[in-house]
Amino acid sequence: MMLNKALEFILNEAIRLDEGHGAAFKPLEDKVFTLTLNDLGTTSHLLFTAYGVSVQSDLQGDADATIETSLVALLALPQTSELKGAVFHGDEPLAEQFVDALNSLEIDWEEHLSHYTGDLIAFKVGHAARSVMQTKQGIKQQAGDTLKEYLQFEINALPTKSQVQRFNQQVVQIHQSVDALENRIDTLLKSATTASH
Amino acid sequence: MSQQKKTIDFGFSEVPLEEKVKKVKGVFDSVADKYDVMNDVMSFGIHRLWKRHTIELSGIRPGNSVLDLAGGTGDLTKEFAKRVGKSGRVVLADINESMVRVGRDRLINQGIAGNVDYTITNAEALGFPDNTFDLATIAFGLRNVTNKDKALEELYRVLKPGGQLMVLEFSKVTQPLLAKAYDFYSFNILPKMGKLIADDEASYQYLAESIRMHPDQDTLKQMMLDAGFDKAEYLNMSEGIVALHRGWKY
Repeated sequence: MMLNKALEFILNEAIRLDEGHGAAFKPLEDKVFTLTLNDLGTTSHLLFTAYGVSVQSDLQGDADATIETSLVALLALPQTSELKGAVFHGDEPLAEQFVDALNSLEIDWEEHLSHYTGDLIAFKVGHAARSVMQTKQGIKQQAGDTLKEYLQFEINALPTKSQVQRFNQQVVQIHQSVDALENRIDTLLKSATTASH
Repeated sequence: MSQQKKTIDFGFSEVPLEEKVKKVKGVFDSVADKYDVMNDVMSFGIHRLWKRHTIELSGIRPGNSVLDLAGGTGDLTKEFAKRVGKSGRVVLADINESMVRVGRDRLINQGIAGNVDYTITNAEALGFPDNTFDLATIAFGLRNVTNKDKALEELYRVLKPGGQLMVLEFSKVTQPLLAKAYDFYSFNILPKMGKLIADDEASYQYLAESIRMHPDQDTLKQMMLDAGFDKAEYLNMSEGIVALHRGWKY
């Protein structure tokens, strides 16, 4: 129940703050979606009407579309722009339209924050948030590079990209050689059979 | 059954049968303006969770028609209206005009309009055709009805086949220790809070007494089956302080 209430609040607030005033959700009016979050083992029903989104645990009858995904994929949606590993049932184009509508949400946090704090503070908070995001991105990139170098060059646990390419070329060459050998053996066998007759 | 009596309970007192409606009306006329505040204070806000749970279990969807009987100040109507959308319809019905007025003004102020009708009606004689609603609810109202059996029969009548009745009502506490604490709270603290906040100790004394006089979980379930419901079940909330009874018409 609490998850549904939280989901309902977040979706309605996101639509309210959206730059496009939630226009992408208009075609979904009077539609019902069932959202299953496999990692949490929960199922919620999302009801779209002119009043916004309502979320509830039970539903009489079937939803127009069902989306099976994970909370992780849902939370990552703003970064990935797709619900990775999601499975759609029912009206699949409608389910895709729902995901597209979620993707289309654009919230200018600085603008909304400035109503409460004034422009200067909102800008400073936004600037600080962007710096944190950039730093986080930099640290992530650096950590990835360091781990890659350690695994590839220090302990030779993983091959480099060029080694993998070379290996793939060798596999192709071997494959071709085996095919050629198979053809020669076939030819020899046919010759031997003809000779024995 | 209760129609054969000459008197009926009004809290812990007995009053002439025809008097109960007037007396209940008097109670709610008196508390209408402060009803929402008092509900929050008396239940520490938990009534919102009970109602939310009821709404979630209703399984309602866009396009449905809903009767919110004894709808009072419109807590359930508001949520149902959002869920059924403009293609659906919700009727807020109450015997008390003051409560309907408060509810109507409140919902309009919150932008809920166009798919809600308001009506003053007696639960024992509903002014709707047979098979009208997909869902009917009566939250914290049935215990104030004079002839509960008749009201349940009426609710059954106006439901569509496949429709559901949800009765949210105070009930019998199942945990003995909690029951004692709850009794103390109901008869010692609650009326004082009524006096403090709504300047009306007597009405809140009645509310506490009427809760104790209301049928327990199993009795109400049997009453629903006797009224014609094809299936009935109940769910205790907060150790039975409140029970949600659900009945289906097939």
